[in-house]
Amino acid sequence: MSSAADQYRGNLQYAVDIVLCIDATGSMKPVLGSVKSSAMTFQPRLEAVMQEKGKSISQLRIKTIAFRDFGHQEDDAIESTDFLRLPEQTETFRTFLHGIDATGGGDVPESGLEALSLAVSSPWEKGLDRRRHVIVMFTDAPAHPLGGPHSSLQSYPASIPPSSDDLLEQWGYPRSQEALMEQSAKRLVLFAPDQEPWTGIQEDWDMVLHFPSKAGDGLQEFEMDQIIDTIANSL
Amino acid sequence: MKHNEVVNGYRIVNSPTNAGGGKCMWAFAEKSGKPYFIKQFLSPKRPKPDAGGSERSKQVRLEACREFEQRHRGIMKLLKPDMPGGGHLVLATDFFAHGSTYYKVTARIDTSTLEKPQLLESRQKCILLKTLAVSLQLLHEIDVVHGDLKPANVLVQKRTGNAFHIAKLIDFDDSYLTGKPPDREEIAGDSLYGAPEWRRYVQDDGSVKAEQLTTAVDIFALGLMTHYYLTGALPQHSERFDSPADAVSAKEKLELDPRLTDRMRNLVLAMTSRAPASRPRIATVISTLKDSKVCDLVQRPPATSAASATEASSNPLKEDRDFPSPGRLRTNIKGTPRPRREPSSPRPETPSAATGAEPTAPGGSSKASDASRKSRVRINLGDRRK
Repeated sequence: MSSAADQYRGNLQYAVDIVLCIDATGSMKPVLGSVKSSAMTFQPRLEAVMQEKGKSISQLRIKTIAFRDFGHQEDDAIESTDFLRLPEQTETFRTFLHGIDATGGGDVPESGLEALSLAVSSPWEKGLDRRRHVIVMFTDAPAHPLGGPHSSLQSYPASIPPSSDDLLEQWGYPRSQEALMEQSAKRLVLFAPDQEPWTGIQEDWDMVLHFPSKAGDGLQEFEMDQIIDTIANSL
Repeated sequence: MKHNEVVNGYRIVNSPTNAGGGKCMWAFAEKSGKPYFIKQFLSPKRPKPDAGGSERSKQVRLEACREFEQRHRGIMKLLKPDMPGGGHLVLATDFFAHGSTYYKVTARIDTSTLEKPQLLESRQKCILLKTLAVSLQLLHEIDVVHGDLKPANVLVQKRTGNAFHIAKLIDFDDSYLTGKPPDREEIAGDSLYGAPEWRRYVQDDGSVKAEQLTTAVDIFALGLMTHYYLTGALPQHSERFDSPADAVSAKEKLELDPRLTDRMRNLVLAMTSRAPASRPRIATVISTLKDSKVCDLVQRPPATSAASATEASSNPLKEDRDFPSPGRLRTNIKGTPRPRREPSSPRPETPSAATGAEPTAPGGSSKASDASRKSRVRINLGDRRK
């Protein structure tokens, strides 16, 4: 009879969850198509890179949050999906992406922090052996601070914390007691302008990769490879 | 960290990237006319005096920073560039916090172009492997486990006028003292090159304790890399398994290239043993590599392969009595590495996160056996995103 130490427990299982936060305001029109088409090719590209490395992901889920501006028009300020399993739910993912139009938003800033907050509080996978929880923010604009006048709007999500400090606590840090994110799993990839709040987040939050874009110019330098590297190189 | 920014006296000379690295950004830099490689850690972040958050939150973050600094300075104290043999390791020359962020600096190493290491002559391969083993010995002699040994963390260098390629080991940021690894959730490592006990530790297998993660973890990875450098592919295993360690954990034999000499076959099998205690120590590996003939690839008629393998199993390395015979071997009759899967599309190679040099090998066995594959070791391409 074999001892417990001799029991084979199966292959190492990796779960990858990704939340895409996509700025869908009018200024994103020139680049939104590129962001959407890149998002659609993400799963096969990631799989190809993983296979090239001789590795595999056991479970891949993706959630999309399209955001505009609560201050401009609250009823379409946030649109989102649940986590969708890829490739099984690719069609649902595709349909949602195709439905995002770059419109509205008024003047900057936009509601990027609200989208980020909703991403942080997502129902992340807690099972399997190892996990990667990646939030990717695509925006060309600064964001409203949390706790502003928009937070009293009826459609404003109640789960959003009242301040950036509270959001940092939800993001967490080593030995954090209040974090919603798993410290060893989390990553935040910002394709955002070198403006607040993004520069402050890059400075104060851990596990953040910031690739600056120029405000108003869209995300001309958007590179999906950076996201894939973030996942593939850490497994 | 931005292009042209000066960070603690180091001027960043290209656009930072995370290519090849999952938990850092890196770039090339210059200081006083000398070129450097600079790595920016993504965690921890040191809270500034005016940072938000409660006082308790700041204290917790500061404590994490103190431990992070202690760990890195501790490793730097053990691994000094001027230590005997230190030239085999690419060691940190500077470590500091700039603003809220930590950075580590090493010399910038330009690596040679090595299209296919398996095509080198036996003597060349032997020297490459021996310099790699000597690099590892420097760590193991002071009870340090590299912890993330893989081809991407080995730079291959060929200096002008020197006939041989030599290996330099890089990236000690995930190193730990033998038997004292980081927590199960935190420990780094590569899922392809990880040892069976590492994978089970990650899987929260309670029967694998921290003290069982020793320098033998590196020996397992080195065994796989030895097979790769000699043959161009990793040992093969059943499709049921995602990695050599998974196969070994399930007590399945790895299929080694039948062209390996019997002594090399025995060495690699011993290095990839399931039980850490059955793996040879690094001194034994170096001793075996003293005879470059051990690195020959022998063309065997298929009919003799199995017999030869059986013979090999009953004749362990004569001068290496301190590890057991690996037992009866399974032979790859076809004599060619078997690809596991084919990727749907190729992807440009990316520089290593540790020094910006190109990774020296793919992880996958299928790619490793692709004869048309491009260089695995190249001059770093840090300016590719300028």
